[in-house]
Amino acid sequence: MEELLNHPAVQGGVAPFIVGLIVAAALAPLRAGGLAAGAGFLTAVFLVSGFQFSPLTATRKLILLGMLAPVIGLVADLAFKPTRATGPALGAISGAASVWVFISVLQQKPASEAALMGGGVALLTAWLVAATYSLRDRPVRLGAAGVTLGVGVGVAAVLSASASLGQYGIALGAGAGGYLLIQMLLGRQLPGGAALALAVGLIGGLLAGAALLLAQLPLIALPVLALIPLAAHAPLPGKAPVWAQAILASVYAAIPAAATWYLIWQSSRGSA
Amino acid sequence: MRKLAVLAVAAALPLIAGAAPENYTFDPYHTFVNFSVDHLGMSTLSGRFNKTAGKMTFDAAAKTGSLEITVETASVDTGDGDKASRPRSRDDHLRQADFFNSAEFPRMTYKSSAVKFSGDNPTELEGQATLLGVTKPVTLKIERWRCGANPMSKKAMCGGNASGTIKRTDFGMKFGVPVLGDEVKLTVEFEAYKD
Repeated sequence: MEELLNHPAVQGGVAPFIVGLIVAAALAPLRAGGLAAGAGFLTAVFLVSGFQFSPLTATRKLILLGMLAPVIGLVADLAFKPTRATGPALGAISGAASVWVFISVLQQKPASEAALMGGGVALLTAWLVAATYSLRDRPVRLGAAGVTLGVGVGVAAVLSASASLGQYGIALGAGAGGYLLIQMLLGRQLPGGAALALAVGLIGGLLAGAALLLAQLPLIALPVLALIPLAAHAPLPGKAPVWAQAILASVYAAIPAAATWYLIWQSSRGSA
Repeated sequence: MRKLAVLAVAAALPLIAGAAPENYTFDPYHTFVNFSVDHLGMSTLSGRFNKTAGKMTFDAAAKTGSLEITVETASVDTGDGDKASRPRSRDDHLRQADFFNSAEFPRMTYKSSAVKFSGDNPTELEGQATLLGVTKPVTLKIERWRCGANPMSKKAMCGGNASGTIKRTDFGMKFGVPVLGDEVKLTVEFEAYKD
């Protein structure tokens, strides 16, 4: 059993998917199935590195926010009525939080490079949170965006020389995949809400930032990753069954993810 | 009589000065921190850090000394720095957040707190190693030690070899354990010139 749990594919993919599936199925009646993505991510953290917060490194700050995001999202779902400003406000707060996460790395870079990279990560995180939040009432599209953003960022991190960041990203996608699969199996849409949107947007953005600042993700990958939630807005046949809509939305959203991988591959071939 | 005493003190001054602690600076071209670690339970993988800096003081008469060495983590070299057709090399991977996290922690340090002697030679260093923001006690055994003049430049120098063992998980480097070994053997080869 221990050998199985030490396998990277189990830690980053299989176990988070199973946990995401169970959380989505068990909590859907309570309108809290959106916790699946965060649960998948935290499963991988538990298996890969454990929960340790001292010293508070950039990766550990990321994990801390990854623990808080689904909970804050759930509270927002249950306690507050969303307004037009909610998504942009959550995005702005998340963007600012990304600067806090990576400040120890940014401080060691020349000012212009720190501004470019830190600003890029803050903008991406803010955008991803606001864009995924705009999908909160469209569960199939939100699930598809969660799967492709998580897997997209995860594979991008692996190609950028960080396996653990890759596992965390793929786990985020696998957890969201559990939520999407439950909808496909039941044939009906289940609310994911801010609990899923905030987890996917914030953790996805921070993982991309970590791959940029702590590994070798090229800066050009950020705007392409930003297209993922936008692609999940593409038109779907309204009368098609849920499983077909889920597959189609995932294919749409996978296009920018695949383009990101291609860019990284090309960029790595060009560098010494 | 008084003149004689003054002359005696004056004559002894160089000897007193010679017994004072001497400061040395490590020669970066002949000072390397090497490491070896179990790989997949199959073999032992070795590597080293190519950039080091530091200073030490040594007082043979008083049997005291101290040492401080700084290693640039991005200089890690396991002989796989060329990625060839792969997206990244092993050395690239070692520099990232899974292992040495060089962007956030560009340096690791070792600072001695006590030196044990056997005769005139130091035999063991007790000190604190700091890696990934975590500081832990580490003991290094000095297996070889010699001070003298460089045969070519005639500059005063000391050199030797030291070794010790750490557990990388103690410093928060958990990636790949236990498939990639937790216990890391360190061997340090060093030469330092008198300031």
